[in-house]
Amino acid sequence: MIGKRFKYTPGPGIRGAVSLEKRLVLTLIMLTAAIWAVASTIRVDELVHTGGRDALVEIVSAAFTPDLGAGTIHLAAIAAFRTLMYAVAGMSVALLLGIPMGIIASGTLLQRPLARYSVIAATRGVLAAFRAVHEIVWAVLFVFAIGLSPVAGVLAIGIPYGGILGRIIADRITDAPERPLNALRASGASSFQVLLYGRLPFAAPDLISYLFYRLECAVRAAAVLSFVGLGGLGFRITIALDDLKYEEAWTSIYALVILVTLIDLWSAQVRKRLL
Amino acid sequence: MVRSGQKAAAVSSNQPEIRTDSPAQLRRVDPGLRDSRGPFGFGFIAWSLIAWVVLGITAWVWIYYDGGRLEDVFSTDAWDGISRFVQDLAGQGSKNTPAFAKAEDWINTLKLANETLQMSVLATAIAGVGALITIPFAASNLTHGELSRFTRLLGMVVFWVTRSSYILTRAVPELVWALMIVFVLQAGVLAGAVALGIHNFGVLGRLGAEIVEDIDTRPVRALRSNGAGNVQVMFYGVLPQVLPQFITFLLYRWEVIIRTTAVVGFVAASGLGYQFRLDFAYFKYTDVALLLIVYVIMVWIVDLTSAGLRRLAN
Repeated sequence: MIGKRFKYTPGPGIRGAVSLEKRLVLTLIMLTAAIWAVASTIRVDELVHTGGRDALVEIVSAAFTPDLGAGTIHLAAIAAFRTLMYAVAGMSVALLLGIPMGIIASGTLLQRPLARYSVIAATRGVLAAFRAVHEIVWAVLFVFAIGLSPVAGVLAIGIPYGGILGRIIADRITDAPERPLNALRASGASSFQVLLYGRLPFAAPDLISYLFYRLECAVRAAAVLSFVGLGGLGFRITIALDDLKYEEAWTSIYALVILVTLIDLWSAQVRKRLL
Repeated sequence: MVRSGQKAAAVSSNQPEIRTDSPAQLRRVDPGLRDSRGPFGFGFIAWSLIAWVVLGITAWVWIYYDGGRLEDVFSTDAWDGISRFVQDLAGQGSKNTPAFAKAEDWINTLKLANETLQMSVLATAIAGVGALITIPFAASNLTHGELSRFTRLLGMVVFWVTRSSYILTRAVPELVWALMIVFVLQAGVLAGAVALGIHNFGVLGRLGAEIVEDIDTRPVRALRSNGAGNVQVMFYGVLPQVLPQFITFLLYRWEVIIRTTAVVGFVAASGLGYQFRLDFAYFKYTDVALLLIVYVIMVWIVDLTSAGLRRLAN
């Protein structure tokens, strides 16, 4: 690669070119994996449904002619709002779980090593367990326990997302640079005050921008939760597809795209001001 | 802009969870908020946070009227349900040998895990190749910016068409793609892989395009001035700068994909996910427990492999 042959010093944005041998090994591994997956899965004769090609044409052409009737749009709008509400409520649970657990898991409030490390290990373990299970699996579990209630969906989003948020909060506030913290300590701040005035302000911009990204993910997750029987955009899409009403399905899909894009634009505006 | 790339790299090395899908976390931020004053003395960010609070309250009110009662969660019924479920998973109260104590069930489940693994690799390959091919047409510096070879209008059109395809594929979750794909392809590993591939194509495309927009333009211009053609510029000027980060993202996405593969299997009728759904429907809870164990082990192995490969890539 360039770095080897021409003594090209990478610019600050480049992490150094990959060295030649490593690159070869990596290429071989990734190629082998891809070939293995392709070779063992693809049997040409049984790839496409009978009539699959017609279905493809219908689905794709429906994408250009979504059902824009007032009734469908009304239903899609309500479903979109419901999905957004599930997502936001899920995020509120995630925040309630994630912020306190993240702060505890960072171990910054404790001084004595033994207590500190055991608390860190325990809370990080719990957070890891929260996020190891996919939100759909949580949803299955909660529907099993409390029945088909919107709360089941909200918790199914809130718990894994709380696990992720907690971990990131813990990482970020541990990463805070020592110097300003030492200045605070020197002027007599307790470890709680150091957290409040030193660590949290350092972590805040990242966390805020991350929250917006997670809200976007939560909207997608909420849309998918209809697989366990909860309402929302995913439910509209599922029943439209069951009736082979592709145009109607696309209306709901576009509603989801608009919702996600709006959140993305909002988040871009916030990020621009945070940077 | 170039520097933020390096900072992103620094973040990526120790915080795998942070950056899975959007540029939001790629940028490491200097401490301190700089929020200009807006209406009522609050800046945009402050207003955004207020909007979050208002949305949150609205959401809970809506859910209350939608029939959701938070106290359901804390009722004894719910906890009885959960503890009964956990006992069922552990195989208590059943005379049969639990599935996770039988060798043949292990072998069958490992075969399913193999299928799931194939699906995830295939999905990553589809997404990666698709993204790599389209990225040059989605980076503003290559289409209508400094390094462009298109006319401005054409460049803008190409840029927005490619970006729109990313927006569409990325906004729609894998499961919804899978629902549509099974109308076209036979349910199976390939159908699931295509559905996962489509969603992750949008994710990787967007991330990749943002890497390309941050590249150092000097080598590219040097190549141009030495008479390199478009393809040569791409292979010797752009790709070498982009690939290390792109491969890192690809491997991160693989970790996300392997987690979602199980769920896509619900719809695509293959691998661990499908079996999970069947066993759940037939109340074979010890089988479900075995599936969960194998799934967690598989995810763990994939995470380790991906971490190892990432070290090779850097």
